[in-house]
Amino acid sequence: MNLPPTNRPAPNGLIRWFHQLGSPPYFDRFAARWAPWAHLLALLTMGIGLYGALFQVPADYQQGDSFRILYIHVPAAWMSMAIFALMGVYAAIALVWRIKLCEILAMACAPTGAAFTLVTLATGSIWGKPMWGTWWDWDPRLTTELILLFLYLGVMGLYAAIDDRRDAARAAGFLAIVGVALLPVIRWSVVWWNSLHQGQTIRLFGESSMDPSMVWPLLWMIVGTKLWFAGSLLNRARADNLRRETGKDWVAKLAGATP
Amino acid sequence: MRQAASALVRRDLQLLWTRRGDALQPALFALLTVVLFALGLGGEADALAPVASAVLWLAVLLAGLLALDSLFRGDAEDGSLEQWMLAPVPLWWLVLVRTLMHWLTTALPVIVAVPVLGELLHLPHAQLPVLMGSLLLGTPILSLLGAVVAALTVGMRRAGVLVALLALPLYVPVLVFGAGAVAAASQGLDPVGALLLLGAGLSISLVFAPLAAAAALRIAHN
Amino acid sequence: MNYREYVVAAYAVFAIVLLWDYVVPKLQARAALRAARLRATRAATRKAPPELQR
Repeated sequence: MNLPPTNRPAPNGLIRWFHQLGSPPYFDRFAARWAPWAHLLALLTMGIGLYGALFQVPADYQQGDSFRILYIHVPAAWMSMAIFALMGVYAAIALVWRIKLCEILAMACAPTGAAFTLVTLATGSIWGKPMWGTWWDWDPRLTTELILLFLYLGVMGLYAAIDDRRDAARAAGFLAIVGVALLPVIRWSVVWWNSLHQGQTIRLFGESSMDPSMVWPLLWMIVGTKLWFAGSLLNRARADNLRRETGKDWVAKLAGATP
Repeated sequence: MRQAASALVRRDLQLLWTRRGDALQPALFALLTVVLFALGLGGEADALAPVASAVLWLAVLLAGLLALDSLFRGDAEDGSLEQWMLAPVPLWWLVLVRTLMHWLTTALPVIVAVPVLGELLHLPHAQLPVLMGSLLLGTPILSLLGAVVAALTVGMRRAGVLVALLALPLYVPVLVFGAGAVAAASQGLDPVGALLLLGAGLSISLVFAPLAAAAALRIAHN
Repeated sequence: MNYREYVVAAYAVFAIVLLWDYVVPKLQARAALRAARLRATRAATRKAPPELQR
């Protein structure tokens, strides 16, 4: 089919860069180059934040030292939600425009998101023991996090269960979008349920009002966890990309064999 | 569209008649669940009565989860699904009809059995109307949401636990408001709010779930 | 009350989970490259002429 050449201006830098990223070998080089920097910066910022959380900030007058767990629990909780939303966005783009890179990125979000959710649950439980005396409490935050963990595991399970990678990513991406749409409903229903069964007292984690002198490590941790996620996203996407392209020449060359 | 619907309904009823025993399986599973709960809790009325409504809700929910497997599997295996996708009728319409038929044949028998099962658990009689109402409103939602999950896993042979894992987060609000309505009534609060929320959820699910399930079928069956 | 054990436990969980999150994709990438290398060498030996010439 011979179409006459169309007259179009050359795409500008950013759009061309997006197109380039869609090429598997280019993405591999990009991810391999930048992931280590993301992880390194993440370790630095988290190190500063955690140092402040452990040694600089004074103990809370009510909770003693146990509130230092907040500096991990809160950033992890925010990341678990943010990654879920991002996963939904990537999945939506992948489904609508069928962009393979967005499929890969959406699926690469899930394990790290699940990891942060697990951290939220574990640190919430560990924090709860000295605070309330029990390892677990069905308060709205922890209950929603638990359901969020199941949503992540569901996406990962569905992606793993279908053989064809593109079909698998589309199905799991669809599930992610449904999950994002329903998560507010789930959260709201759990809050209602909690108020019904446990009376009107809503437990707080003590973060409702923090003295400004105690806030700065939290900010470092929030930035640090985002940087860590960026690094992990690139690493996981790179690994998935390599697995999908395994028959191609450029992968063989990268692996050191002559095709 | 009505022709397609009535054809589908007739075929489903015929299939149901030839496999009459299968239709009672969810009810049987609910009975088994109730028996196990009663045995596990010790059988005393004092222990059973406070939890009876929640256990019944769970029994119905779990029975429905098991029955979900049969929603699309028969059609996937004999090739009808491809016919559905090529049909001139919208796919979401066929999904809706199939899901409602499935609910009629799998969930309704269980709901009919609930008053009897309630006696086994010493369910306070005052709770029965709210329980039945919440089940009648809630189980179609479970079927509709379950259709989305069933559509996503339609090709898989051993989907088993994965279906439960995928369905659980979606089922939580229905369970919360359904069982919560009965719990509210037993505490003396007004259950109407929760029931209205279930009704709203049903209306929204009737509109969106078939569309989502149809999209999922196209994605998963490719 | 001594909260130190709890704080240590929480921070340890964080570190372990992050370590897992770092290591697994690295191993996956390495395995993918190894598989590609094996695949390429197998294809290369297959293309080599058979040794049945006499």
